[in-house]
Amino acid sequence: MSDERGAGRESAPPLVVMEHVTKRFPGVVANDDVSLELRPGEVHALIGENGAGKSTLMRILYGMYPASEGRILLGGEEISISSPRVALQHGIGMVHQHFVLVDPFTVTENVILGDEGSAILDMETAQQKVADLAQTYGFQVRPSALIEDLSVGEEQRVEILKALYRGVEVLILDEPTAVLTPSEAKDLFTNLRRLRDDGKAIVFISHKLDEVLAIADRITVLRRGKVVGETTPADASKAKLAEMMVGRPVLFRLEQPDVEIGEPILEVEGLLGEGKLNGIGFEVRTREILGVAGVEGNGQKELAEALIGLRKPAAGTVRLAGTDITGWPVADIRNAGVAYIPEDRHEQGLVLNMTLWENAVLGREDDPPFSGKTGFLFIDRIKEMARRLVKLFDVRTRSINVAASTLSGGNQQKLVLARELDTSPKLLIASQPTRGLDVGAIEFVWRQILDQKKEGRGVLLISAELDEIYALSDRIVTIYEGRITGEYAPDARPEEIGVGMLGAADTAEAS
Amino acid sequence: MSTGGATLPAPRALPPWLESAVGQGLALLAAFAIAVSAGALIIILYGENPLSVYSAMLSFAFKDVTSVGTVLSIATPLIFAALAVSVCFKGGLFNIGVEGQFLVGMVTASWAALTFDFLPGLLHLAAVLLFACFGGMVYAAVPGILKVTTGAHEVVTTIMMNGIAISIVAYALNGPLRFTKAPPGQNVDLRTDIFEPSALVPDLGHVFGVGGSAHLSWLFPIAIVASAIVWFLFRRLRLGYEARVVGSSAGSARAGGIAIGGVQIKLFLISGALAGLTGMQQVLVERGALVQNYEAQLGFTGIAVAFLGQNNPIGIVFAAVLWAILSRGETALQLGTNLPREFVIILQGILIFSVVVVYQVAKRRLARRELQRAGAEVGLRDTATPEDEALQEA
Repeated sequence: MSDERGAGRESAPPLVVMEHVTKRFPGVVANDDVSLELRPGEVHALIGENGAGKSTLMRILYGMYPASEGRILLGGEEISISSPRVALQHGIGMVHQHFVLVDPFTVTENVILGDEGSAILDMETAQQKVADLAQTYGFQVRPSALIEDLSVGEEQRVEILKALYRGVEVLILDEPTAVLTPSEAKDLFTNLRRLRDDGKAIVFISHKLDEVLAIADRITVLRRGKVVGETTPADASKAKLAEMMVGRPVLFRLEQPDVEIGEPILEVEGLLGEGKLNGIGFEVRTREILGVAGVEGNGQKELAEALIGLRKPAAGTVRLAGTDITGWPVADIRNAGVAYIPEDRHEQGLVLNMTLWENAVLGREDDPPFSGKTGFLFIDRIKEMARRLVKLFDVRTRSINVAASTLSGGNQQKLVLARELDTSPKLLIASQPTRGLDVGAIEFVWRQILDQKKEGRGVLLISAELDEIYALSDRIVTIYEGRITGEYAPDARPEEIGVGMLGAADTAEAS
Repeated sequence: MSTGGATLPAPRALPPWLESAVGQGLALLAAFAIAVSAGALIIILYGENPLSVYSAMLSFAFKDVTSVGTVLSIATPLIFAALAVSVCFKGGLFNIGVEGQFLVGMVTASWAALTFDFLPGLLHLAAVLLFACFGGMVYAAVPGILKVTTGAHEVVTTIMMNGIAISIVAYALNGPLRFTKAPPGQNVDLRTDIFEPSALVPDLGHVFGVGGSAHLSWLFPIAIVASAIVWFLFRRLRLGYEARVVGSSAGSARAGGIAIGGVQIKLFLISGALAGLTGMQQVLVERGALVQNYEAQLGFTGIAVAFLGQNNPIGIVFAAVLWAILSRGETALQLGTNLPREFVIILQGILIFSVVVVYQVAKRRLARRELQRAGAEVGLRDTATPEDEALQEA
């Protein structure tokens, strides 16, 4: 993806300047004296770990938060952006990670929503205008299509069109590739280059460094609310950017433990259920990590839930170490030796308003060391266990008596991981195990997952992040609309896997 | 692994549990102050002096030991009812049916009192109390089972069953439990036969010199024990732990392998048993029979008291006493002022309102401070640890 960069237009005066912007939330400085220039005709990447202040900074620019200090200049004049509406009037638009579209409406209706002009709608003109815009920037989208019929990538184009329709010169994209397949991301980049060449300033918020290096003209790195550096892809490497983000060198490929893959531990055949699982079959062996790659919403969540017992499959069998566990209740499946890292740790992993020790025992509260036959909890033993886990997994907290909600995302995930692995499972189901975590925490979680192989355990890794699949898997399968569409070696090219993620792979070669 | 462990001692003054306790106490005081001032405004609008009105209410509640005893005996059924509400609430269930469960408990207890009159002394009473619990449990089991098996929402089913319970009492009084022995030549209101003395809860008040009119019986200490048991249930027993998990995050409970339906039914049964005891103050202490003009609405008042006590079993005891002081104040108002007695109801309403609001605000502040502190400390520690350095070399 090394094609021509934007003209840069070094000489052109900046469109927008943010000067010495500081944003304080109670107890937290989200942005600390940040200055930023956005020039016409550039893609400006804003990178940093979670909580580094990227999104906050851009929300200030988009009028969603007022800045505590500092000023914003537009074309050299100071302006006050009190709301997104004002931001749009000044030509600043933002596309959020979660789209805000009305499903039963057409593309055109969504684009003009909130900017309909006169009281009597002139749909023909609006439709023409939207079609022209799409044409100009090479957006493949039909103005009369209904949103509910569109793919995620197309929906994103509609969101961008909404901003363009309002005549924005500055377009902010918050983690735009998080929801896209590799090929959709490529299409997005093509679109962005057209916009850049047309003189727009594009802010690209991301923590995926490969993408940033591919698309950006300039890169600003934030750490803990401060700008720690500005660079260009020519002067930077992935390793260097990561080091700037985290403050220390980061390993992208962890060493695989040298172990021999063993016998099948999990065998799944013809799993059917609720329209989301359409006959899934695969096997995971001991000391093996099987990566399930796929675009989100293709049955991954349902698969994980069916395997741990949260959903009853309509048909098919699940065998754990030879025992048929199909349709067993969760507690029995767990006792049989399955551990589960849910994709949403708030929804299915932790009880946020309860303490760390209460969370550490969840799912094991009826095991002999933690409660007696009469139903008494042995709180001292539970707390002792919790202290041990907190120490072993380096969960950073003041005490085990505070609520789980006080932990950062990375530390919450460490707590879930610690609890699940402490049961000495035969099989670990890890569903999106590093979602929302920053680079340092990702490395920790990956290392723990790899270590499971040394313990003779099997791991089913379900992830929408290809990076993660590549970093950990011994074998890769792709999932599409509830079916396994291909099986790949760990060194298969992303393009090959991408084909499977879109369902087009030759299903005959699927296992 | 990092030196010094992952937990840090807090360098600041108060330990967290004390800070939380102090915070809660302050919140309660603030809420009370708000309610009292709002009440004062209303009193002034009525052309009365707030100071004298409040002091009349207080002094009436505490004018002698018999007055205090009366307050405690008013509080007794409220404690049972509020505990019943709170047990379900902790598990995320809204048991509006305490009212119906308590009515049914009165019927089953009365039946036991009349049927087991051959039992000697305390055995008779024990049987009556057991049947009070049993009646409440059976009546609470119905919405519980419906909820778990069909998903029927407990608020809807319990409200419906409250209506049925009123009819059950009426049927019992007109049919199977209708009095058979009436004093000759007198008209008697519809009631059961008068129970044997062995079915009644013995008086406790006389030990402390409380007059018999206060109706302070051993039921009050039983209510205190019940609240201690509820506290123990949620702090020390597996069922209570699982109930709190279910109530806070059903998804995490399910993923952890907790049988949610089983927990919910058990909570309904415990709640029903406590609800069943609510009516015993009037049946076994004040009247010695189930009468037609029984005191209803105790189950609904229990919801208010549970809110006031923030569903905490200890808080509920204090909330019930406070509620009783206010209720008793009604009489004081009629005696000494021109305020209508409904003023007390208004004051009780304002009190609940301000407690709920102030607690929410206080809770958020505490949570935010906790977050800040956690954030600040993690920030401090985020400099490279020995482990990180080891990683770098790897």
